[in-house]
Amino acid sequence: MKKSSIFGLIVIAIAIAVIISTYSSSSTYGTFSEAKKTASELRVVGHLDKQKELYYDAARDANYFSFYVKDKKGGECKVVFGGTKPQDFERSEQIVLTGQMVGSEFHASHILMKCPSKYTQDKINVTEAKAKSANI
Amino acid sequence: MDKVFQGEHLLPGHLGQIFVIFSFGAALLSAISYYFATTSANKLDTSWLKMGRWAFYINSISILGVVVCLFYIIYNHYFEYHYAWSYTSKSLPVYYLVSGFWNGQEGGFMLWTFWQAVLGNVLIWRAKSWEKPVMTVVAFSQVWLASMLLGIEFFGARIGSSPFLLLRNAIEAPIFSKPDYLSFIKDGQGMNPLLQNYWMVIHPPTLFLGLASVVVPFAYAIAGLWQKRYKEWVNQAIPYALFGGMILGTGVIMGSLWAYESLSFGGFWAWDPVENASIFPWLTLVGGLHVLIVYKNTGHSYFTATFLVLLSFVMVLYTSFLSRSGILGETSVHSFTDLGMFWQLVSYILVFLVIMVYFLVVRRKELPVTKKDEETYSREFWMFVGAIFLGLSCFHLILVTSIPVWNTMFGTKVAPPNDLIGHYNIIQASFAMVITLLTGFTQFLKYKKTDVTRFFITTLLYFAFAVLITALVVYVTGLYKLHFVFLLVMLGSIYSLLANGKVLADALKGKFKLAGSAVAHIGFALMLVGALISAGTREVVSKNETGSLNIGNFNKAAGDVKENIMIYKNDPVKMGEYMVTYLGDSVAEPNHYYKVDYKKFDAKGNVTEEFVLRPNVQISAQMGLSPSPDTKHYLLHDLYTHITALPQSAATANSTDADHGEANDDKNYDPPVAHQIAVGDTIAFKGGYIVLKSLNKEARVQNIPLTNSDVAIGAKLEVVSNGKTYYAEPVYMIKDKSVFDFARIVDDAGLKLRLTKIIPEKSKVEITVLEQPQNKRPWIVMRALDFPYINFLWAGTVIMIIGFLLSIFRRNKELKTD
Repeated sequence: MKKSSIFGLIVIAIAIAVIISTYSSSSTYGTFSEAKKTASELRVVGHLDKQKELYYDAARDANYFSFYVKDKKGGECKVVFGGTKPQDFERSEQIVLTGQMVGSEFHASHILMKCPSKYTQDKINVTEAKAKSANI
Repeated sequence: MDKVFQGEHLLPGHLGQIFVIFSFGAALLSAISYYFATTSANKLDTSWLKMGRWAFYINSISILGVVVCLFYIIYNHYFEYHYAWSYTSKSLPVYYLVSGFWNGQEGGFMLWTFWQAVLGNVLIWRAKSWEKPVMTVVAFSQVWLASMLLGIEFFGARIGSSPFLLLRNAIEAPIFSKPDYLSFIKDGQGMNPLLQNYWMVIHPPTLFLGLASVVVPFAYAIAGLWQKRYKEWVNQAIPYALFGGMILGTGVIMGSLWAYESLSFGGFWAWDPVENASIFPWLTLVGGLHVLIVYKNTGHSYFTATFLVLLSFVMVLYTSFLSRSGILGETSVHSFTDLGMFWQLVSYILVFLVIMVYFLVVRRKELPVTKKDEETYSREFWMFVGAIFLGLSCFHLILVTSIPVWNTMFGTKVAPPNDLIGHYNIIQASFAMVITLLTGFTQFLKYKKTDVTRFFITTLLYFAFAVLITALVVYVTGLYKLHFVFLLVMLGSIYSLLANGKVLADALKGKFKLAGSAVAHIGFALMLVGALISAGTREVVSKNETGSLNIGNFNKAAGDVKENIMIYKNDPVKMGEYMVTYLGDSVAEPNHYYKVDYKKFDAKGNVTEEFVLRPNVQISAQMGLSPSPDTKHYLLHDLYTHITALPQSAATANSTDADHGEANDDKNYDPPVAHQIAVGDTIAFKGGYIVLKSLNKEARVQNIPLTNSDVAIGAKLEVVSNGKTYYAEPVYMIKDKSVFDFARIVDDAGLKLRLTKIIPEKSKVEITVLEQPQNKRPWIVMRALDFPYINFLWAGTVIMIIGFLLSIFRRNKELKTD
């Protein structure tokens, strides 16, 4: 057997190993009710319930932030995050949480939020433009 | 139907749109002409060639026209154009207007097509016998880029997105039914404050030049296959591939330097899909470059070299698809949203992929492939192995980054790994270990055949040295706490440093042309050393376990846990080995700078070091808060600080204090305490003490004229709080038979002082002290990180760029002497 063929086989073996390791470590998207059934971490996609309280009081604990999220199936759960309140959190349209259930709370280790950034917002704010024009 | 709107400036837009269409048409004509120039049997007929050139010149000039028109619109604040309205505003300084230019996706395409035009002109000037086929490919790619800017309806589908779209056509709103709608739109949306940064001025042009330059080696490879000049294209392509690798690498690192210096990721690399995508083409191009050199020197690895070079450009297209199609929505923080060009982007990739596969398949039997196996102890074999490993590293990145793509293609719902960063770190580190070891010991091998015993002796000698040094480094930096893979990367990098150091030393003695690769490898190894130590042993300085709301069983692997600390103004807090004090803030809209004083003490309590950092938060009505860190740079480590939370009032109000009445203001203080004292007496309060120095019988209050019957007395007070001294003079006044008193506020001490009574019989006065309770005092929450040895990363990058430059000079010289 030629050396290059042996090397080729090694490369294929590594490629397969990479695929398997990626697949086995990959996570799933789920809901809170699914999170309650499993002990492992998973990702929940949902949106912030703006009716309920966002709790962050730096004076009591600068690393405790809790809020309520409705997942895509409508299930709602209290979420606790061990850090500060992310900037612009109230404006988020969609939240992707990574974490697991602890008791009745979902403990998120990572929050990714999609904000209606100005790139997609395209809403004309006439009053604001007027207010600014007075200063010019 | 055609309504006339007042105040619109339609000319620059029309002109710009004409230039866009011209650039598309000219690119198409150029591609077709070059194609026929290449295939024409009559070698004496240069009419096609001339037409191809002229069309390309017209394309280049049209692109300049587009650029000028768009800049004119932005510069003059014509907000009737969607692009100007979306990304700029009147208050933006000129140098940010330039970056507003490439803020949107259209601007990105414009930059790309501009650079591709520049490169095309360089090729027309320099490519000589290669011009026709190479320019066919470049002009064809130019057609695609020009189409991205068209913004024209074509059989019901919109092709491209034009930067000259009018606001009233982009957005539907009732306001646009008014003919004078423009008088209501006084200002644009402005630029995202995070992008108002000098990096935004230089990073995108560099990155796009890098991306654009990958087309040149691709075009040479296609030309070589097409014209059956299989061997010759390699030498031509090497300098361009080096250039592409250098600029693309620079662009990517600039991006991470930007993230580190002014965004608040808390690091320089976050494995975000958009970041990963930017290094796909770099990895394949650098891999391809190495096998091109193998082929040039030995005739081996032809297929791999051609394949990787071709693949690099397809990777560039895939990168742009990932970041622009909106497909990364759920996994990336900074990808663009879809502009309705999903299928256009996909077809751009597919067409060039098909061209690549077609030529490789059709020409497969004619490719100059060696039948002979490479020697095991030869440089070419191990360079080949290295290139393949770069490819594998890229393969893994693509596999994970493209998870949303797989989900779309196969209808699955797989989420990326939960510990994504850990996953990337471990697997990519394994590849990095192999690659660095290869860049080390391959230096001791010669092309074709090497003396085996000598090779083993030198290799092992250097390896032993590397092990010793690594052990030392690992011990000193505390790397041993990490996964063993990272220690192996360290070993590989140090080995590579030593081996290439030797090559460089030899090169300086005489074989100077070999210096380029050695320098580039040294730079690369240093980058890895820096990245490894700083990311691996990064320490949270602001560790904070004091919170009263402890969260049980929290996953400690998560990044943001217990890393934030709250500090009240003028209230020193111990943080790691520092004593930090929040001193106050200063405002230069939209930037709010928070002054944080750091003090370090020795064992005896003497201050050994003191400095002030000014982390910044940009507060704007539209964007909310966007923090930027401030960093204290040392030679061997960096102290990085950024704001993570602010009081609600700071976030919403831009100083509306004037609205609050006097009584209202008192609510911010504890109940007043009155003290009757004589001159020289002292009053104690929670945060320090106050001394009544003297009474001023000629006190004056601004804007209040006093007559002879009026009396005004000031109490000169000295306030000492937290080791600092402040002065205040509250005033007591009798005017027109009424009594007034004018309080004085000492913000930094959280005090309000009043002179409320004068008691002549006791020769005393009454001073009323209002003290702010702690929770009403201004505060910040911040996070501080220490990045050790991060300068190796930046220094390594610069060294690597120098190495690339030296190599370009060398290969160019070879091209001339060939």
